[in-house]
Amino acid sequence: MINTQIALVRRELWEHRSIIVTPIVIGVIVAMMSVTGQVAVSAMDHAVDIALLGASNVGEHERAIALNVLLISISSLFVLAMWVLTVFYTLDALYAERKDKSILFWRSMPVTDAETVISKLLTAIVVIPIVSFAIIAVTHLVVLVISSVWVGIRGANAWHLVWQSAPLADNWLATLTFVLALPLWLSPFIGWFLLVSAYTRRSPLLIAFLPIIILPMLERSLLGTSAFAEAIFVRTGAIPLFGGRAGSDFFEKEENLRRLAQSGDSALSIIDLGGFLLSPGLWLGLLVCGLFTAAAVYVRRYRGES
Amino acid sequence: MSSVVSARNVSKLFGNVRAVDNVSFDIEKGRITGLIGPNGAGKTTLLKAVLGLTDCQGSLTVLGLDPFRQRKELMQNICFIADVAVLPRWIRVSQLLEFIERIHPRFSRKRANELLGRTKIMPSARVKELSKGMVTQLHLSIVTAIDARLLVLDEPTLGLDIIFRKEFYGNLLGDYFDEDRTILITTHQVEEIENLLTDIMFINDGQLVLDASMDELPDRYVEVMASAEQADRARQLNPIFERDVFGKKVLTFEGIGREQLQGLGEIRTPDIADLFVAKVKGATA
Repeated sequence: MINTQIALVRRELWEHRSIIVTPIVIGVIVAMMSVTGQVAVSAMDHAVDIALLGASNVGEHERAIALNVLLISISSLFVLAMWVLTVFYTLDALYAERKDKSILFWRSMPVTDAETVISKLLTAIVVIPIVSFAIIAVTHLVVLVISSVWVGIRGANAWHLVWQSAPLADNWLATLTFVLALPLWLSPFIGWFLLVSAYTRRSPLLIAFLPIIILPMLERSLLGTSAFAEAIFVRTGAIPLFGGRAGSDFFEKEENLRRLAQSGDSALSIIDLGGFLLSPGLWLGLLVCGLFTAAAVYVRRYRGES
Repeated sequence: MSSVVSARNVSKLFGNVRAVDNVSFDIEKGRITGLIGPNGAGKTTLLKAVLGLTDCQGSLTVLGLDPFRQRKELMQNICFIADVAVLPRWIRVSQLLEFIERIHPRFSRKRANELLGRTKIMPSARVKELSKGMVTQLHLSIVTAIDARLLVLDEPTLGLDIIFRKEFYGNLLGDYFDEDRTILITTHQVEEIENLLTDIMFINDGQLVLDASMDELPDRYVEVMASAEQADRARQLNPIFERDVFGKKVLTFEGIGREQLQGLGEIRTPDIADLFVAKVKGATA
Protein backbone atom coordinates (compact mmCIF):
# COMPACT_ATOMS: atom_id res chain seq x y z
CA MET A 1 0.00 0.00 0.00
CA ILE A 2 2.64 2.51 1.05
CA ASN A 3 5.04 1.32 -1.64
CA THR A 4 2.31 1.69 -4.23
CA GLN A 5 1.59 5.22 -3.06
CA ILE A 6 5.28 6.12 -3.17
CA ALA A 7 5.54 4.79 -6.73
CA LEU A 8 2.38 6.61 -7.78
CA VAL A 9 3.42 9.92 -6.22
CA ARG A 10 6.86 9.71 -7.84
CA ARG A 11 5.07 9.13 -11.10
CA GLU A 12 3.14 12.37 -10.54
CA LEU A 13 6.38 14.27 -9.98
CA TRP A 14 7.86 12.81 -13.18
CA GLU A 15 4.86 13.86 -15.19
CA HIS A 16 4.24 17.24 -13.57
CA ARG A 17 7.72 18.65 -13.36
CA SER A 18 6.24 22.11 -12.79
CA ILE A 19 5.64 21.08 -9.17
CA ILE A 20 9.39 21.34 -8.63
CA VAL A 21 10.41 23.67 -11.43
CA THR A 22 7.97 26.52 -10.64
CA PRO A 23 9.12 27.14 -7.05
CA ILE A 24 12.76 26.83 -8.14
CA VAL A 25 12.22 29.49 -10.80
CA ILE A 26 10.58 31.77 -8.24
CA GLY A 27 13.47 31.14 -5.84
CA VAL A 28 15.99 32.09 -8.50
CA ILE A 29 14.04 35.25 -9.35
CA VAL A 30 13.82 36.23 -5.68
CA ALA A 31 17.57 35.67 -5.26
CA MET A 32 18.34 37.73 -8.35
CA MET A 33 16.04 40.49 -7.19
CA SER A 34 17.75 40.65 -3.84
CA VAL A 35 21.15 40.98 -5.56
CA THR A 36 20.04 43.72 -7.96
CA GLY A 37 18.08 45.43 -5.20
CA GLN A 38 21.11 45.60 -2.97
CA VAL A 39 23.36 46.77 -5.77
CA ALA A 40 20.83 49.48 -6.64
CA VAL A 41 20.55 50.59 -3.02
CA SER A 42 24.32 50.78 -2.79
CA ALA A 43 24.24 53.77 -5.10
CA MET A 44 22.89 55.78 -2.18
CA ASP A 45 26.20 55.47 -0.47
CA HIS A 46 25.94 57.47 2.70
CA ALA A 47 22.29 56.83 3.31
CA VAL A 48 23.00 53.11 3.29
CA ASP A 49 25.81 53.40 5.79
CA ILE A 50 23.57 55.38 8.06
CA ALA A 51 20.78 52.84 7.69
CA LEU A 52 23.16 50.01 8.53
CA LEU A 53 24.44 51.94 11.49
CA GLY A 54 20.88 52.44 12.57
CA ALA A 55 20.13 48.76 12.11
CA SER A 56 23.12 47.83 14.24
CA ASN A 57 21.89 50.03 17.03
CA VAL A 58 18.22 49.15 17.24
CA GLY A 59 17.24 46.29 19.49
CA GLU A 60 17.37 42.62 18.63
CA HIS A 61 13.57 42.56 18.67
CA GLU A 62 13.21 45.25 16.01
CA ARG A 63 15.75 43.59 13.73
CA ALA A 64 13.92 40.30 14.11
CA ILE A 65 10.63 41.96 13.15
CA ALA A 66 12.21 43.45 10.04
CA LEU A 67 13.75 40.13 8.99
CA ASN A 68 10.53 38.29 9.78
CA VAL A 69 8.62 40.59 7.47
CA LEU A 70 11.24 39.94 4.77
CA LEU A 71 10.97 36.16 5.18
CA ILE A 72 7.18 36.23 5.22
CA SER A 73 6.95 38.38 2.11
CA ILE A 74 9.25 35.96 0.26
CA SER A 75 7.14 33.01 1.41
CA SER A 76 3.89 34.65 0.34
CA LEU A 77 5.11 34.76 -3.27
CA PHE A 78 5.62 31.01 -3.14
CA VAL A 79 2.28 30.39 -1.46
CA LEU A 80 0.51 32.27 -4.21
CA ALA A 81 2.36 30.26 -6.86
CA MET A 82 1.71 27.06 -4.94
CA TRP A 83 -2.02 27.60 -5.11
CA VAL A 84 -1.97 28.38 -8.84
CA LEU A 85 0.16 25.24 -9.31
CA THR A 86 -2.31 23.17 -7.30
CA VAL A 87 -5.25 24.38 -9.39
CA PHE A 88 -3.54 23.53 -12.66
CA TYR A 89 -2.15 20.24 -11.35
CA THR A 90 -5.46 18.94 -10.05
CA LEU A 91 -7.30 19.97 -13.21
CA ASP A 92 -4.73 18.08 -15.29
CA ALA A 93 -4.22 15.06 -13.04
CA LEU A 94 -7.07 12.89 -14.35
CA TYR A 95 -7.54 14.72 -17.65
CA ALA A 96 -4.11 14.34 -19.27
CA GLU A 97 -4.14 10.54 -19.03
CA ARG A 98 -7.37 10.47 -21.01
CA LYS A 99 -6.21 13.06 -23.49
CA ASP A 100 -2.99 11.19 -24.32
CA LYS A 101 -4.82 7.83 -24.17
CA SER A 102 -2.43 6.40 -21.61
CA ILE A 103 -5.25 5.74 -19.14
CA LEU A 104 -5.75 2.19 -20.40
CA PHE A 105 -2.06 1.51 -19.95
CA TRP A 106 -2.19 2.79 -16.36
CA ARG A 107 -5.30 0.75 -15.77
CA SER A 108 -3.51 -2.36 -17.08
CA MET A 109 -1.26 -2.13 -14.03
CA PRO A 110 -2.28 -3.80 -10.77
CA VAL A 111 -3.36 -0.55 -9.11
CA THR A 112 -6.94 0.30 -8.18
CA ASP A 113 -8.64 3.46 -9.37
CA ALA A 114 -8.97 4.56 -5.75
CA GLU A 115 -5.21 4.20 -5.18
CA THR A 116 -4.49 6.24 -8.29
CA VAL A 117 -6.89 9.06 -7.43
CA ILE A 118 -5.69 9.14 -3.80
CA SER A 119 -2.09 9.48 -4.99
CA LYS A 120 -3.14 12.55 -6.96
CA LEU A 121 -4.97 13.98 -3.96
CA LEU A 122 -1.90 13.35 -1.78
CA THR A 123 0.28 15.06 -4.34
CA ALA A 124 -1.94 18.15 -4.23
CA ILE A 125 -2.43 18.27 -0.47
CA VAL A 126 0.91 17.06 0.87
CA VAL A 127 3.61 16.82 -1.79
CA ILE A 128 3.19 20.20 -3.49
CA PRO A 129 3.24 22.07 -0.12
CA ILE A 130 6.29 20.16 1.15
CA VAL A 131 8.23 20.71 -2.07
CA SER A 132 7.27 24.39 -2.00
CA PHE A 133 8.28 24.68 1.65
CA ALA A 134 11.68 23.10 1.04
CA ILE A 135 12.38 25.56 -1.75
CA ILE A 136 11.10 28.48 0.38
CA ALA A 137 13.58 27.53 3.10
CA VAL A 138 16.45 27.28 0.63
CA THR A 139 15.48 30.65 -0.87
CA HIS A 140 15.41 32.21 2.61
CA LEU A 141 18.93 30.95 3.22
CA VAL A 142 20.16 32.16 -0.16
CA VAL A 143 18.69 35.64 0.38
CA LEU A 144 20.19 35.82 3.86
CA VAL A 145 23.60 34.76 2.52
CA ILE A 146 23.39 37.41 -0.21
CA SER A 147 22.42 39.99 2.41
CA SER A 148 25.32 38.93 4.65
CA VAL A 149 27.83 39.29 1.85
CA TRP A 150 26.46 42.72 1.04
CA VAL A 151 26.40 43.80 4.68
CA GLY A 152 29.92 42.45 5.03
CA ILE A 153 31.14 44.43 2.04
CA ARG A 154 29.65 47.57 3.56
CA GLY A 155 31.78 46.84 6.59
CA ALA A 156 29.04 45.90 9.04
CA ASN A 157 28.80 42.75 11.14
CA ALA A 158 26.66 40.31 9.14
CA TRP A 159 26.61 37.66 11.83
CA HIS A 160 25.21 40.10 14.32
CA LEU A 161 22.90 41.97 11.92
CA VAL A 162 21.49 39.05 9.95
CA TRP A 163 22.05 35.60 11.34
CA GLN A 164 21.67 36.29 15.03
CA SER A 165 18.47 38.21 14.41
CA ALA A 166 16.66 36.15 11.81
CA PRO A 167 13.97 34.07 13.53
CA LEU A 168 14.50 31.22 11.07
CA ALA A 169 13.29 28.20 13.04
CA ASP A 170 10.20 30.01 14.22
CA ASN A 171 9.42 31.36 10.78
CA TRP A 172 9.96 28.00 9.08
CA LEU A 173 7.77 26.13 11.49
CA ALA A 174 5.03 28.71 10.96
CA THR A 175 5.47 28.59 7.18
CA LEU A 176 5.35 24.80 7.12
CA THR A 177 2.20 24.80 9.24
CA PHE A 178 0.62 27.36 6.95
CA VAL A 179 1.48 25.67 3.65
CA LEU A 180 0.16 22.35 4.99
CA ALA A 181 -2.98 23.90 6.48
CA LEU A 182 -3.92 25.90 3.40
CA PRO A 183 -4.62 22.96 1.04
CA LEU A 184 -6.56 21.22 3.82
CA TRP A 185 -8.69 24.33 4.25
CA LEU A 186 -9.17 24.70 0.49
CA SER A 187 -9.61 20.94 0.01
CA PRO A 188 -13.22 21.21 -1.25
CA PHE A 189 -11.84 23.05 -4.27
CA ILE A 190 -9.11 20.43 -4.72
CA GLY A 191 -11.70 17.64 -4.64
CA TRP A 192 -13.91 19.53 -7.08
CA PHE A 193 -11.01 20.11 -9.47
CA LEU A 194 -10.10 16.41 -9.39
CA LEU A 195 -13.69 15.48 -10.19
CA VAL A 196 -13.82 17.93 -13.09
CA SER A 197 -10.51 16.60 -14.34
CA ALA A 198 -11.83 13.03 -14.24
CA TYR A 199 -15.11 13.92 -15.85
CA THR A 200 -14.77 16.64 -18.45
CA ARG A 201 -14.11 15.95 -22.09
CA ARG A 202 -12.60 19.36 -22.74
CA SER A 203 -11.40 22.61 -21.14
CA PRO A 204 -11.25 21.56 -17.48
CA LEU A 205 -10.36 25.09 -16.38
CA LEU A 206 -13.55 26.52 -17.84
CA ILE A 207 -15.74 23.68 -16.58
CA ALA A 208 -14.26 23.99 -13.09
CA PHE A 209 -14.79 27.73 -12.70
CA LEU A 210 -18.05 28.16 -14.56
CA PRO A 211 -20.25 26.73 -11.78
CA ILE A 212 -18.39 28.79 -9.19
CA ILE A 213 -19.41 31.90 -11.12
CA ILE A 214 -22.82 30.85 -12.39
CA LEU A 215 -24.28 29.10 -9.33
CA PRO A 216 -24.16 32.22 -7.09
CA MET A 217 -25.81 34.20 -9.86
CA LEU A 218 -28.54 31.58 -10.26
CA GLU A 219 -29.05 31.41 -6.53
CA ARG A 220 -29.39 35.16 -6.33
CA SER A 221 -31.89 35.44 -9.12
CA LEU A 222 -33.95 32.37 -8.27
CA LEU A 223 -33.88 32.29 -4.49
CA GLY A 224 -32.70 35.79 -3.72
CA THR A 225 -30.10 34.38 -1.32
CA SER A 226 -26.34 34.21 -1.52
CA ALA A 227 -25.38 31.27 0.67
CA PHE A 228 -23.24 29.60 -1.99
CA ALA A 229 -21.31 32.76 -2.78
CA GLU A 230 -20.72 33.38 0.92
CA ALA A 231 -19.55 29.82 1.49
CA ILE A 232 -16.99 30.23 -1.29
CA PHE A 233 -16.02 33.69 -0.14
CA VAL A 234 -15.47 32.65 3.48
CA ARG A 235 -13.46 29.64 2.29
CA THR A 236 -11.10 31.58 0.05
CA GLY A 237 -11.13 34.76 2.15
CA ALA A 238 -9.93 33.61 5.53
CA ILE A 239 -8.44 30.49 6.96
CA PRO A 240 -9.16 30.03 10.69
CA LEU A 241 -5.48 29.49 11.43
CA PHE A 242 -4.72 32.84 13.00
CA GLY A 243 -6.95 32.81 16.04
CA GLY A 244 -10.25 34.54 16.42
CA ARG A 245 -13.12 33.68 14.20
CA ALA A 246 -12.66 33.05 10.56
CA GLY A 247 -13.56 36.10 8.59
CA SER A 248 -12.28 39.07 6.74
CA ASP A 249 -12.59 41.31 9.81
CA PHE A 250 -9.39 39.87 11.29
CA PHE A 251 -7.51 43.14 10.95
CA GLU A 252 -10.40 45.18 12.32
CA LYS A 253 -10.29 43.53 15.71
CA GLU A 254 -8.10 45.48 18.08
CA GLU A 255 -6.92 42.44 20.04
CA ASN A 256 -5.75 40.77 16.85
CA LEU A 257 -3.76 43.82 15.87
CA ARG A 258 -2.25 44.11 19.34
CA ARG A 259 -1.25 40.48 19.29
CA LEU A 260 0.26 40.93 15.87
CA ALA A 261 2.29 43.94 16.97
CA GLN A 262 3.55 42.18 20.07
CA SER A 263 4.55 39.09 18.24
CA GLY A 264 6.11 40.66 15.18
CA ASP A 265 9.28 38.64 15.60
CA SER A 266 7.43 35.37 15.91
CA ALA A 267 5.26 34.18 13.05
CA LEU A 268 4.53 31.04 15.02
CA SER A 269 2.87 32.91 17.87
CA ILE A 270 0.03 34.17 15.67
CA ILE A 271 -0.75 30.65 14.49
CA ASP A 272 -3.53 28.91 16.35
CA LEU A 273 -3.20 25.30 15.21
CA GLY A 274 -5.64 23.98 17.81
CA GLY A 275 -8.27 26.48 16.75
CA PHE A 276 -7.73 25.46 13.13
CA LEU A 277 -7.97 21.74 13.81
CA LEU A 278 -11.10 22.25 15.93
CA SER A 279 -12.90 24.47 13.45
CA PRO A 280 -15.98 22.75 12.02
CA GLY A 281 -15.32 24.48 8.70
CA LEU A 282 -12.13 22.46 8.24
CA TRP A 283 -13.84 19.12 8.77
CA LEU A 284 -16.86 20.05 6.74
CA GLY A 285 -14.49 21.02 3.93
CA LEU A 286 -12.60 17.73 4.20
CA LEU A 287 -15.90 15.87 4.02
CA VAL A 288 -16.85 17.72 0.84
CA CYS A 289 -13.39 16.99 -0.56
CA GLY A 290 -13.84 13.30 0.29
CA LEU A 291 -17.18 13.18 -1.53
CA PHE A 292 -15.76 14.84 -4.64
CA THR A 293 -12.75 12.52 -4.58
CA ALA A 294 -14.95 9.44 -4.27
CA ALA A 295 -16.95 10.72 -7.23
CA ALA A 296 -13.71 11.13 -9.19
CA VAL A 297 -12.77 7.50 -8.42
CA TYR A 298 -16.20 6.39 -9.56
CA VAL A 299 -15.96 8.33 -12.81
CA ARG A 300 -12.51 6.91 -13.59
CA ARG A 301 -13.69 3.39 -12.88
CA TYR A 302 -16.85 3.57 -14.97
CA ARG A 303 -15.51 5.79 -17.73
CA GLY A 304 -14.90 2.79 -20.02
CA GLU A 305 -18.63 2.15 -20.02
CA SER A 306 -19.60 4.73 -22.57
CA MET B 1 -10.69 -25.38 -13.44
CA SER B 2 -8.30 -25.21 -16.34
CA SER B 3 -10.18 -22.48 -18.20
CA VAL B 4 -8.34 -19.23 -18.23
CA VAL B 5 -11.37 -17.36 -19.48
CA SER B 6 -14.86 -18.68 -19.03
CA ALA B 7 -17.84 -16.78 -20.41
CA ARG B 8 -21.46 -17.83 -19.97
CA ASN B 9 -24.20 -15.78 -21.64
CA VAL B 10 -22.19 -12.61 -21.49
CA SER B 11 -23.96 -9.53 -22.83
CA LYS B 12 -23.17 -5.87 -22.85
CA LEU B 13 -25.74 -3.25 -23.71
CA PHE B 14 -25.15 0.34 -24.68
CA GLY B 15 -28.61 1.81 -24.52
CA ASN B 16 -30.59 -0.45 -26.84
CA VAL B 17 -27.58 -1.68 -28.76
CA ARG B 18 -26.27 -5.10 -27.85
CA ALA B 19 -22.54 -4.72 -28.36
CA VAL B 20 -22.03 -8.22 -27.04
CA ASP B 21 -25.01 -10.51 -27.29
CA ASN B 22 -25.25 -13.63 -25.15
CA VAL B 23 -21.77 -14.95 -25.79
CA SER B 24 -20.41 -18.13 -24.22
CA PHE B 25 -16.95 -19.59 -24.65
CA ASP B 26 -13.93 -21.00 -22.82
CA ILE B 27 -10.27 -20.34 -23.38
CA GLU B 28 -7.96 -23.02 -22.04
CA LYS B 29 -4.47 -22.60 -20.67
CA GLY B 30 -1.63 -22.62 -23.20
CA ARG B 31 -3.75 -21.63 -26.17
CA ILE B 32 -3.40 -18.75 -28.60
CA THR B 33 -6.88 -17.63 -29.53
CA GLY B 34 -7.64 -15.20 -32.29
CA LEU B 35 -10.77 -13.10 -31.92
CA ILE B 36 -11.75 -11.97 -35.38
CA GLY B 37 -14.56 -9.64 -36.31
CA PRO B 38 -15.40 -6.60 -38.41
CA ASN B 39 -15.26 -3.10 -36.94
CA GLY B 40 -18.04 -2.53 -34.46
CA ALA B 41 -18.67 -6.26 -34.03
CA GLY B 42 -18.08 -6.12 -30.29
CA LYS B 43 -14.48 -7.35 -30.19
CA THR B 44 -13.13 -4.47 -28.18
CA THR B 45 -16.10 -4.47 -25.83
CA LEU B 46 -15.61 -8.17 -25.19
CA LEU B 47 -11.90 -7.66 -24.54
CA LYS B 48 -12.68 -4.77 -22.21
CA ALA B 49 -15.02 -7.01 -20.26
CA VAL B 50 -12.32 -9.70 -20.04
CA LEU B 51 -9.86 -7.06 -18.80
CA GLY B 52 -12.27 -5.73 -16.19
CA LEU B 53 -12.46 -2.34 -17.84
CA THR B 54 -16.18 -2.58 -18.28
CA ASP B 55 -18.98 -4.34 -16.46
CA CYS B 56 -21.21 -6.84 -18.26
CA GLN B 57 -24.19 -9.09 -17.77
CA GLY B 58 -23.94 -12.84 -17.52
CA SER B 59 -21.13 -14.74 -15.91
CA LEU B 60 -17.55 -14.01 -16.83
CA THR B 61 -14.56 -15.31 -14.94
CA VAL B 62 -10.95 -14.75 -15.85
CA LEU B 63 -8.36 -16.80 -13.97
CA GLY B 64 -11.14 -17.56 -11.51
CA LEU B 65 -11.72 -13.86 -10.77
CA ASP B 66 -14.54 -11.46 -11.52
CA PRO B 67 -12.65 -9.10 -13.82
CA PHE B 68 -14.62 -5.93 -13.09
CA ARG B 69 -14.72 -6.32 -9.33
CA GLN B 70 -11.25 -7.79 -8.82
CA ARG B 71 -9.36 -5.80 -11.42
CA LYS B 72 -6.29 -5.19 -9.26
CA GLU B 73 -5.74 -8.89 -8.48
CA LEU B 74 -6.50 -9.73 -12.09
CA MET B 75 -3.96 -7.26 -13.44
CA GLN B 76 -1.20 -9.04 -11.55
CA ASN B 77 -1.80 -11.97 -13.86
CA ILE B 78 -2.95 -10.29 -17.04
CA CYS B 79 -1.11 -8.03 -19.41
CA PHE B 80 -2.51 -6.22 -22.36
CA ILE B 81 -1.23 -4.32 -25.30
CA ALA B 82 -3.82 -2.35 -27.20
CA ASP B 83 -3.69 0.19 -29.92
CA VAL B 84 -5.76 2.43 -27.66
CA ALA B 85 -3.70 1.83 -24.52
CA VAL B 86 -0.61 3.73 -25.45
CA LEU B 87 2.37 4.27 -23.20
CA PRO B 88 2.47 7.80 -21.76
CA ARG B 89 4.52 9.97 -24.07
CA TRP B 90 6.23 12.02 -21.39
CA ILE B 91 7.76 9.13 -19.46
CA ARG B 92 11.37 7.95 -19.77
CA VAL B 93 12.04 4.28 -20.42
CA SER B 94 13.96 3.98 -17.15
CA GLN B 95 11.14 5.68 -15.22
CA LEU B 96 8.62 3.33 -16.74
CA LEU B 97 10.65 0.29 -15.69
CA GLU B 98 11.16 1.70 -12.20
CA PHE B 99 7.45 2.39 -11.80
CA ILE B 100 6.39 -1.07 -12.90
CA GLU B 101 9.06 -2.68 -10.75
CA ARG B 102 7.62 -0.91 -7.70
CA ILE B 103 3.98 -1.76 -8.28
CA HIS B 104 4.03 -5.06 -10.14
CA PRO B 105 4.92 -8.10 -8.03
CA ARG B 106 5.58 -10.24 -11.11
CA PHE B 107 7.77 -7.89 -13.08
CA SER B 108 11.46 -8.68 -13.56
CA ARG B 109 13.42 -5.55 -14.37
CA LYS B 110 16.46 -7.66 -15.15
CA ARG B 111 14.56 -9.53 -17.82
CA ALA B 112 13.16 -6.30 -19.25
CA ASN B 113 16.65 -4.81 -19.48
CA GLU B 114 17.86 -7.97 -21.17
CA LEU B 115 15.11 -7.76 -23.78
CA LEU B 116 15.56 -4.02 -24.30
CA GLY B 117 19.30 -4.58 -24.68
CA ARG B 118 18.54 -6.31 -27.95
CA THR B 119 16.79 -3.23 -29.30
CA LYS B 120 17.91 0.30 -30.04
CA ILE B 121 15.81 1.69 -27.20
CA MET B 122 17.89 3.74 -24.75
CA PRO B 123 16.85 3.76 -21.08
CA SER B 124 17.12 7.54 -20.97
CA ALA B 125 14.85 8.06 -23.96
CA ARG B 126 11.38 9.44 -23.53
CA VAL B 127 8.55 7.48 -25.12
CA LYS B 128 7.69 10.44 -27.38
CA GLU B 129 11.17 10.23 -28.88
CA LEU B 130 10.65 6.63 -29.99
CA SER B 131 9.12 5.53 -33.26
CA LYS B 132 5.79 3.71 -33.16
CA GLY B 133 7.53 0.42 -33.79
CA MET B 134 9.95 0.99 -30.94
CA VAL B 135 7.12 1.88 -28.57
CA THR B 136 5.48 -1.44 -29.40
CA GLN B 137 8.85 -3.21 -28.90
CA LEU B 138 9.12 -1.50 -25.52
CA HIS B 139 5.61 -2.51 -24.54
CA LEU B 140 6.17 -6.10 -25.60
CA SER B 141 9.46 -6.23 -23.69
CA ILE B 142 7.70 -5.02 -20.55
CA VAL B 143 4.89 -7.51 -20.98
CA THR B 144 7.33 -10.34 -21.64
CA ALA B 145 9.17 -9.47 -18.44
CA ILE B 146 5.95 -9.79 -16.46
CA ASP B 147 5.25 -13.35 -15.42
CA ALA B 148 1.58 -13.12 -16.32
CA ARG B 149 -0.75 -15.94 -17.26
CA LEU B 150 -2.92 -14.21 -19.84
CA LEU B 151 -1.84 -11.73 -22.46
CA VAL B 152 -4.50 -9.79 -24.33
CA LEU B 153 -3.48 -8.13 -27.58
CA ASP B 154 -5.87 -5.73 -29.28
CA GLU B 155 -4.58 -4.72 -32.72
CA PRO B 156 -1.03 -4.75 -31.35
CA THR B 157 0.68 -4.15 -34.67
CA LEU B 158 -1.61 -1.48 -36.10
CA GLY B 159 0.38 1.07 -38.04
CA LEU B 160 3.67 -0.83 -37.88
CA ASP B 161 5.72 -1.70 -40.91
CA ILE B 162 6.16 -5.27 -42.00
CA ILE B 163 9.57 -5.75 -40.36
CA PHE B 164 8.34 -4.68 -36.95
CA ARG B 165 5.22 -6.81 -37.35
CA LYS B 166 7.19 -9.95 -38.19
CA GLU B 167 9.59 -9.25 -35.36
CA PHE B 168 6.73 -8.63 -32.96
CA TYR B 169 5.15 -12.02 -33.56
CA GLY B 170 8.55 -13.69 -33.64
CA ASN B 171 9.38 -12.28 -30.20
CA LEU B 172 5.92 -13.08 -28.94
CA LEU B 173 6.41 -16.77 -29.72
CA GLY B 174 10.11 -16.92 -28.96
CA ASP B 175 10.35 -14.93 -25.72
CA TYR B 176 6.88 -14.81 -24.31
CA PHE B 177 4.85 -17.85 -25.06
CA ASP B 178 5.03 -21.18 -23.23
CA GLU B 179 2.50 -23.81 -22.26
CA ASP B 180 1.62 -22.00 -19.02
CA ARG B 181 0.73 -18.81 -20.79
CA THR B 182 -2.33 -17.94 -22.79
CA ILE B 183 -2.79 -15.34 -25.47
CA LEU B 184 -5.98 -13.72 -26.71
CA ILE B 185 -5.47 -11.61 -29.78
CA THR B 186 -7.52 -9.48 -32.16
CA THR B 187 -6.29 -8.06 -35.40
CA HIS B 188 -7.44 -7.14 -38.86
CA GLN B 189 -4.27 -8.54 -40.36
CA VAL B 190 -5.48 -12.10 -39.97
CA GLU B 191 -3.06 -13.60 -42.49
CA GLU B 192 -0.12 -12.65 -40.30
CA ILE B 193 -1.32 -14.52 -37.25
CA GLU B 194 -2.96 -17.44 -38.97
CA ASN B 195 0.00 -19.75 -38.36
CA LEU B 196 0.31 -18.64 -34.76
CA LEU B 197 -3.17 -19.45 -33.61
CA THR B 198 -4.33 -22.63 -31.92
CA ASP B 199 -7.94 -21.47 -31.69
CA ILE B 200 -10.20 -19.07 -33.44
CA MET B 201 -13.37 -17.17 -32.62
CA PHE B 202 -15.40 -15.11 -35.05
CA ILE B 203 -17.64 -12.40 -33.70
CA ASN B 204 -20.25 -10.53 -35.71
CA ASP B 205 -22.99 -8.20 -34.49
CA GLY B 206 -22.07 -9.08 -30.95
CA GLN B 207 -22.58 -12.79 -31.49
CA LEU B 208 -20.09 -15.58 -31.67
CA VAL B 209 -20.42 -17.14 -35.13
CA LEU B 210 -17.49 -19.53 -34.84
CA ASP B 211 -15.52 -20.95 -31.95
CA ALA B 212 -13.16 -23.73 -32.99
CA SER B 213 -9.63 -24.98 -32.68
CA MET B 214 -7.46 -24.59 -35.76
CA ASP B 215 -7.08 -28.38 -35.91
CA GLU B 216 -10.82 -28.82 -36.33
CA LEU B 217 -11.13 -26.40 -39.21
CA PRO B 218 -10.13 -28.78 -42.07
CA ASP B 219 -12.74 -31.26 -40.88
CA ARG B 220 -15.49 -28.70 -40.55
CA TYR B 221 -14.85 -26.41 -43.48
CA VAL B 222 -14.03 -27.16 -47.07
CA GLU B 223 -13.73 -24.94 -50.07
CA VAL B 224 -14.25 -26.08 -53.62
CA MET B 225 -13.09 -24.17 -56.66
CA ALA B 226 -15.50 -25.20 -59.34
CA SER B 227 -16.30 -24.34 -62.92
CA ALA B 228 -19.72 -22.85 -63.63
CA GLU B 229 -21.30 -26.20 -64.45
CA GLN B 230 -19.65 -28.05 -61.52
CA ALA B 231 -20.89 -25.24 -59.30
CA ASP B 232 -24.50 -26.04 -60.14
CA ARG B 233 -24.02 -29.55 -58.79
CA ALA B 234 -22.08 -28.32 -55.80
CA ARG B 235 -24.89 -25.92 -54.86
CA GLN B 236 -27.08 -28.95 -54.15
CA LEU B 237 -24.92 -29.53 -51.07
CA ASN B 238 -25.90 -26.15 -49.52
CA PRO B 239 -22.69 -24.16 -49.46
CA ILE B 240 -22.64 -21.44 -46.81
CA PHE B 241 -21.03 -18.97 -49.17
CA GLU B 242 -20.07 -18.54 -52.77
CA ARG B 243 -17.69 -16.15 -54.44
CA ASP B 244 -16.10 -15.56 -57.84
CA VAL B 245 -12.40 -16.00 -58.42
CA PHE B 246 -10.96 -15.59 -61.92
CA GLY B 247 -14.19 -16.67 -63.61
CA LYS B 248 -14.50 -19.73 -61.38
CA LYS B 249 -16.81 -20.24 -58.43
CA VAL B 250 -15.44 -20.85 -54.96
CA LEU B 251 -17.98 -22.50 -52.68
CA THR B 252 -17.52 -22.87 -48.96
CA PHE B 253 -19.11 -25.79 -47.16
CA GLU B 254 -19.66 -26.47 -43.50
CA GLY B 255 -19.97 -30.01 -42.18
CA ILE B 256 -19.66 -31.68 -45.57
CA GLY B 257 -17.17 -34.51 -45.96
CA ARG B 258 -14.43 -34.11 -48.52
CA GLU B 259 -15.39 -37.36 -50.20
CA GLN B 260 -18.81 -35.92 -51.06
CA LEU B 261 -17.14 -33.10 -52.94
CA GLN B 262 -14.91 -35.32 -55.10
CA GLY B 263 -15.10 -34.40 -58.74
CA LEU B 264 -16.64 -30.98 -58.12
CA GLY B 265 -13.38 -29.12 -58.48
CA GLU B 266 -10.26 -28.32 -56.56
CA ILE B 267 -10.75 -29.05 -52.85
CA ARG B 268 -8.90 -27.24 -50.10
CA THR B 269 -9.24 -25.83 -46.57
CA PRO B 270 -10.28 -22.18 -46.65
CA ASP B 271 -7.87 -19.73 -45.10
CA ILE B 272 -9.14 -17.73 -42.18
CA ALA B 273 -9.84 -14.53 -44.04
CA ASP B 274 -11.99 -16.36 -46.62
CA LEU B 275 -13.70 -18.41 -43.97
CA PHE B 276 -14.45 -15.26 -42.04
CA VAL B 277 -16.03 -13.60 -45.03
CA ALA B 278 -18.02 -16.77 -45.70
CA LYS B 279 -19.33 -16.99 -42.15
CA VAL B 280 -20.14 -13.29 -41.80
CA LYS B 281 -21.51 -12.62 -45.27
CA GLY B 282 -23.08 -16.05 -45.57
CA ALA B 283 -25.05 -15.37 -42.41
CA THR B 284 -26.59 -12.22 -43.83
CA ALA B 285 -27.20 -13.61 -47.33
